[in-house]
Amino acid sequence: MQKFTNHPPRKKSWLARLSQKLQHGDRLWQTLIISMSLLVVGVILAIGGLLWRESAGSRLQFGWGFLSPLGESSWNPVSNSFKAWSFIYGTLITSWVAIAIAVPLSLGIAIFLAELCPAWLRTPLGLMVELLAAIPSVVYGLWGIFVFLPAVVVPTGTLLEETLGAIPGLQVLLAGPVSLNGSSRLAAGMILAIMILPTIAAVSRDVLLAIPPSQREASLALGATRWETIWRVLLPYGFSGILGAVILGLGRALGETMAVTMVIGNSIEGSYSLLRPGYTLSSVIANEFAEAVSPLHTQALVEIALILFVMTLVLNGVARALVWNVSRRNPQEVRA
Amino acid sequence: MEITVDTPAILPARPHYITTHKGYGRRKTTNGVMLSLTGLATLLALAPLFWIIGYVLYKGGQSINLALFTQLPRPVGMAGGGVLHAIEGTLLLTLLSGLIALPPGLLAAFYAAYHPNTPLGVALRFGTDVLAGVPSIVIGIFGYALLVKPAGHYSALAGAVALAILMMPTIIRTTEEMIRLVPGNLREGSLALGAPEWKTALRVTLPAALNGIVTGFLLGMARAAGETAPLLFTALGNDRFEIGRMLRSGQSLPVALWKLIEQPVDSLPLTLYKYTQQPSAERINQSWAVAFVLLAIVLLANIAARLWVQARSAKLRG
Amino acid sequence: MNIATNLSTTQSISAPQTQTGAQVNLAVPKAQVTALPAKMELQALSVFYNTFQAIAEITLTIPANQITAIIGPSGCGKSTLLRALNRMTDLTPNAHVEGAVTLDRENIYAPGVDVVDIRRRIGMVFQRPNPFPMSIYENVAYGPRLYGIRQRKVLDEIVESSLQRVVLWDEVKDKLGQSGMALSGGQQQRLCIARALAVEPDVILMDEPASALDPIATLKIEELMQILKNTYTIVIVTHNMQQAARVSAYTAFMMINQNRAGTLVEFGQTSQIFTNPRNKQTEAYVTGRFG
Repeated sequence: MQKFTNHPPRKKSWLARLSQKLQHGDRLWQTLIISMSLLVVGVILAIGGLLWRESAGSRLQFGWGFLSPLGESSWNPVSNSFKAWSFIYGTLITSWVAIAIAVPLSLGIAIFLAELCPAWLRTPLGLMVELLAAIPSVVYGLWGIFVFLPAVVVPTGTLLEETLGAIPGLQVLLAGPVSLNGSSRLAAGMILAIMILPTIAAVSRDVLLAIPPSQREASLALGATRWETIWRVLLPYGFSGILGAVILGLGRALGETMAVTMVIGNSIEGSYSLLRPGYTLSSVIANEFAEAVSPLHTQALVEIALILFVMTLVLNGVARALVWNVSRRNPQEVRA
Repeated sequence: MEITVDTPAILPARPHYITTHKGYGRRKTTNGVMLSLTGLATLLALAPLFWIIGYVLYKGGQSINLALFTQLPRPVGMAGGGVLHAIEGTLLLTLLSGLIALPPGLLAAFYAAYHPNTPLGVALRFGTDVLAGVPSIVIGIFGYALLVKPAGHYSALAGAVALAILMMPTIIRTTEEMIRLVPGNLREGSLALGAPEWKTALRVTLPAALNGIVTGFLLGMARAAGETAPLLFTALGNDRFEIGRMLRSGQSLPVALWKLIEQPVDSLPLTLYKYTQQPSAERINQSWAVAFVLLAIVLLANIAARLWVQARSAKLRG
Repeated sequence: MNIATNLSTTQSISAPQTQTGAQVNLAVPKAQVTALPAKMELQALSVFYNTFQAIAEITLTIPANQITAIIGPSGCGKSTLLRALNRMTDLTPNAHVEGAVTLDRENIYAPGVDVVDIRRRIGMVFQRPNPFPMSIYENVAYGPRLYGIRQRKVLDEIVESSLQRVVLWDEVKDKLGQSGMALSGGQQQRLCIARALAVEPDVILMDEPASALDPIATLKIEELMQILKNTYTIVIVTHNMQQAARVSAYTAFMMINQNRAGTLVEFGQTSQIFTNPRNKQTEAYVTGRFG
């Protein structure tokens, strides 16, 4: 029988000791992943914080009046007086136009892809819609300036001016001659529509695809047509998810910079018309920041960035809440 | 226990309302019309895709030449010249931002996947969504306030950091999703063998999820390559940027590299934007050519990513 | 047209073979000559998915105002057969149907037939209750609204009478605005039946309507069927033989043949099928030797 003796532990080299420590290096791992997560969360707080700090002077000087449509002054770097209203208006109206155009189209696409299209066509078409989202903003802008504006915006604008522009209530929106080269809020809205289409369409399609087939069967078995099933059962069923998709699209439209700044004309002209050049929150920053004439000017621009930040923060929160709502209050729960 | 059910012997009388065929024709017509409209909407939405791609290929193709890729720009008004500075700038920025974004992104994703319901986990996932929605120009301003203003000059580093922040949500989301998809028993098997958490993560989970992670990363980089707004106030632009020349300037490698990223730098989208603001026919033509290159990069990256995913999953299915 | 007459024309169609090669007898005993009127007839009905035949030439008569049960082991095509009766198979891509299904002597598969109307006249209740995410009222009113009925009074009347017919009215009359999905499983299923009744069908098809429900709810549904059959014709698919024996007057027994297609093995009065089946396979199934 073999004899077992207790050998005293051998002294280990520093390398062996180090690797032993690292082998149970879970503490290191945990530290790493926690610190990186803190970093990411910290970045968002830092963005908010830095924007807040760098706009301090402007915020103190102009207060809430910065945002208001009332009052005399407007954005004037020369006299160091700044108001953001015309940019807020520009951002809102272009986004509104974009949503008005994009939502019906996106719903149509989502319905087509989810309900009607043969299975083999679904992936290639879906891919093509997603490619629309991959085109860089500047390329949209370039094509916008030289192709889309003359070919589509100018005729559309002229047509709108002549037809709807005659209606009394709409005159504010459709007043004035279309600018010669077509750069206008309408142009920005239309190009934004193309850019946010993929977002809304893809999410809506996924929402529709997630609806259980039993709902469709129930409706069709009652003698409804396909369209009636889609309109009366599926769209209401997926409503919150689709609303979330629209809000996501809206968020994208609000923050879009390059394509907008290239086709909107960048002008602080006083009118509210869609057919005239305008300015948005993002495009004024893009245009003026690098050549800001005074520290107050810079601060005002940072304050505009802060406004944008808060707007998208709120929208994102709402969209998120809608999506969480959909997944939590899952209507398929059947209490037996 | 006797179960009684209170049911009437005869059904209550009931009125008849739906016995005619009235209205079927109209309903059928509505059905046909609306369904066709959805098909029409799809075509209408895809039309710009083909229009843009087609036009860029056509117009850009006309101005593509070798000089574009090998020379620095000539002054406005003079013919010729290229966008070498922008190409190198794009390469530098994309690589640098990828390097900066990848480690934190991966690690944070692991945390989000493994501890989703802790306060930090919830904050992280919410924060990722928020970050994904922040406009790129706001991130540019952040980059300016963080790195340019204190340093006193524009730099490629600042631009890369801004781009990295942009890429971060995509990397975290995709990685987290991919990690979740790895079957739990893979991880448990490794842990049961005595492997520590980090080894399991790096040697077992990561390779299993690598497919999707790489795709997400590439798509994120492709997006960063196409961004302009964050670079407007960080990298700014630099007509004289040429990596080769700078590296040959006789300094040691680390110093030269540091100098490299401390320079303002151009990128393809940034150059494209600036050229469209200059009223020179030559510049406009070059814009189209740059758009051609940019579009090609971005579209090829997207298509390649999808094909890669398909090929890998086909291989796995065997 | 009664069953006896119908069968004389079906005997010319080749009857499916059993595994032992013996001819399968499709006849109903002659005592049935004082026959019940037939509401629906299947004439050599076959269902194909691409080239795969799922149902092989089934000929059958559904008597009016009776409950007819379709039983058989799982996978034998009972549900497919049921879905073919209201043309729900049209919704599956690559599915096509041969043969004929008649409702009141008109072939529902004839070209030019209005599918929407067929589906109104032949209603369907599914295995898992599938109420719409709307209020109870709106669930029942869904069908009538499709047909252009808009007046509140009329809709109220239809909703009330439909819910009374399924013995749900008293339970829900105070909460018609509540979501249909907030009801219990048994109530939801009765809601689905009420929904189907609201469009005034002639036939109700039920695909294992109680299999997702507890025994008491099941009992209520079965009681309901007995009452409904006086006004409607009911066809029920069930994997529960005892249920078929309890509720139905006529039973059809289906099985898969060598080619994996569902065929009709025997059809007759329920009492006869269960106590004195003519076919050996039927006997083996109803006595539980396989299933």
